[in-house]
Amino acid sequence: MLGLSGVSQAFQAHGAPEGLYVHQMSHVLFVCGLAYLYWHTRRTAALVSKGWQYLRSYCVLLILWNILAFTGHAIETILSPDDFMNSGSWSAVMLEPFTLPKIVFYIAKMDHLLCVPAAFCLLISLRTFYLEHKGEE
Amino acid sequence: MHTLPMYPTVLIDLIGSGLMILITFLALRYAYFLSSLDSKNFIWGFLFYFCMAMAAFSISRGVGHILKQILVLSDHKQIWKSLFPYSGGFNTTLMISLFAVIIYYHKGLAAYKAIQSEASKLFTANKKLEDATGELQTMNVHLEDMVEERTRELSESEKKFRHFFENSQDMVYFCNSEGSISDINQSGLEMLGYKEWPEDLNILDIFNNESELEIYVKALHEKGFVRDFEIELQNADGDLLQVVITANAVRDETGKMIGCEGIAKDMTRLKTVMAQLSDKQKMASVGQLAAGVAHEINTPLGVILGYSQLMKDDFSEGDESYESLVVIERQTKACRKIVADLLKFSRQGISEKTYMQLNEIVQDVVDVTEHGLIIDHIKVTKKYSEEMPFIFCDAEKLRQVFINLINNAHHAMEGGGEIIISTRICSEGQEVEAVIEDTGKGIPDEVKAKIFEPFFTTKSVGKGTGLGLSVSYGIIQDHEGSITVQSPVVISGTTVHSGTAFTVRLPVASEQPAAESLESMLKFH
Repeated sequence: MLGLSGVSQAFQAHGAPEGLYVHQMSHVLFVCGLAYLYWHTRRTAALVSKGWQYLRSYCVLLILWNILAFTGHAIETILSPDDFMNSGSWSAVMLEPFTLPKIVFYIAKMDHLLCVPAAFCLLISLRTFYLEHKGEE
Repeated sequence: MHTLPMYPTVLIDLIGSGLMILITFLALRYAYFLSSLDSKNFIWGFLFYFCMAMAAFSISRGVGHILKQILVLSDHKQIWKSLFPYSGGFNTTLMISLFAVIIYYHKGLAAYKAIQSEASKLFTANKKLEDATGELQTMNVHLEDMVEERTRELSESEKKFRHFFENSQDMVYFCNSEGSISDINQSGLEMLGYKEWPEDLNILDIFNNESELEIYVKALHEKGFVRDFEIELQNADGDLLQVVITANAVRDETGKMIGCEGIAKDMTRLKTVMAQLSDKQKMASVGQLAAGVAHEINTPLGVILGYSQLMKDDFSEGDESYESLVVIERQTKACRKIVADLLKFSRQGISEKTYMQLNEIVQDVVDVTEHGLIIDHIKVTKKYSEEMPFIFCDAEKLRQVFINLINNAHHAMEGGGEIIISTRICSEGQEVEAVIEDTGKGIPDEVKAKIFEPFFTTKSVGKGTGLGLSVSYGIIQDHEGSITVQSPVVISGTTVHSGTAFTVRLPVASEQPAAESLESMLKFH
């Protein structure tokens, strides 16, 4: 077996879709983590600061972003280069017919419209914590 | 043919990536500040790590997206093709890292909560301990204040009662169940005739009457107190004291009497004054009666005397009727003298007052009576005070008073003795005093109370009318003075002799005349 390493069963082969699957799994894990954070901060009576409300908004927006990104990644696999024209330039366009996957993909390409507000909520949340804590000091 | 331009997505991707990097780093900055403020706070620590992972994710993703757009738009797709797996890998890893940080939050928070719970318990315990300590300290401080306050109150109370005890004019005493006095104030000692605390002083020993002692002891044992109980005590000098006593029994927890405490007020002086006042009132009423009787009798006596004298002219001397009329005349005159004396006692007589010295009046009387006294082996001792002030008086009446007093002394010493006649200034110069003291047999107490009453006499019938002292009393009263008797004679608590001493006190004249004016006055008189 040592001499025939090419047929060795000790190493698992990683094909091309594996990276995407791992990435998609990471989105799922991230969503789970965010959902837990949202749930826990909501059920914990001691966490009454307004900063936690902003943090929960951040969780919601980022969960939505993850779903959108997950969907975008999934749709990307079913779209073909023929659905686009002039790809790789400022004049790139999406061609008809505008099917639901194409429209969802187009929206998913603008995922920053969700993640930037989410990041802003995180910033406001921390700023609120800081100011409150500094006020207490 | 309809198309949908993709450049908006590119623009949003570029701008969004940049904003993501900027915003997440700003958030990381606040997270850093927070954890710096309180490095022990788990939440701030978690948020700091979360923001750090988020910032790393933003860089990875943002830089990847920007690089992709730049490389693709600049027709370097091959380069991007070789880079994008790394970018995707970083993104995936960092998203998993973010999840891991959240898991860390889950586990860490549980541990932190456990620690916090323990810390909270410890803090609560410490707080309780601190509160208890504080409370204890407060109580301690308060206790000290309370003790101090109580001590101060006790001290003030003790001082107050000590002051009352020591300065009370009444006798305050404490004694044990045997009656032995354990504590007594100075007034009490003085009342009982002691200057210093005697070795053994028992309240039961100083009761003069056995019956009163029995009532006192019985009341204390049975009722537990006696109130305003009038008793007679005998002091160390043998003098009797009229005392009003109020006492309480002191009992132990079992109710057994272990002693008593009481206050005794000396009423002797008050009783004496009351008796004197009573005597004065009695004498005043007797005086009024005597005056009335004298006036009524004086007129018929005058008629009897006049007619008897007229009738004497109708008979010759030696005649039986004549002799009878002489007897009537003599007895009528005797009666008139008695009436005159009664008038003097009741101060109805005419009084002629001048400025005189008491020594002079007394000496006039001594000059008249001394011869008779010497014959009867009575020594006369004169102790006149010099420079006596003048008194405004009826000298004749005062002479009569002193003659009475010296005659009485004479009669009290039939077998001889001594008369001591002394004068002095008293009452801080407001009065002068003359004392006629004899060493005779003295006057019994029951007689002493009546000697100033009219017609009271111990002499046999015919030897005295019983008006001498009552007339003297009236004369002295008329001069706003006083006459008192002491028998036996006691000086400073010590009985000098069993005789009698009459003390006459007269007020000093409010205006003292000059010597020359007095001489002229005397010449005129």
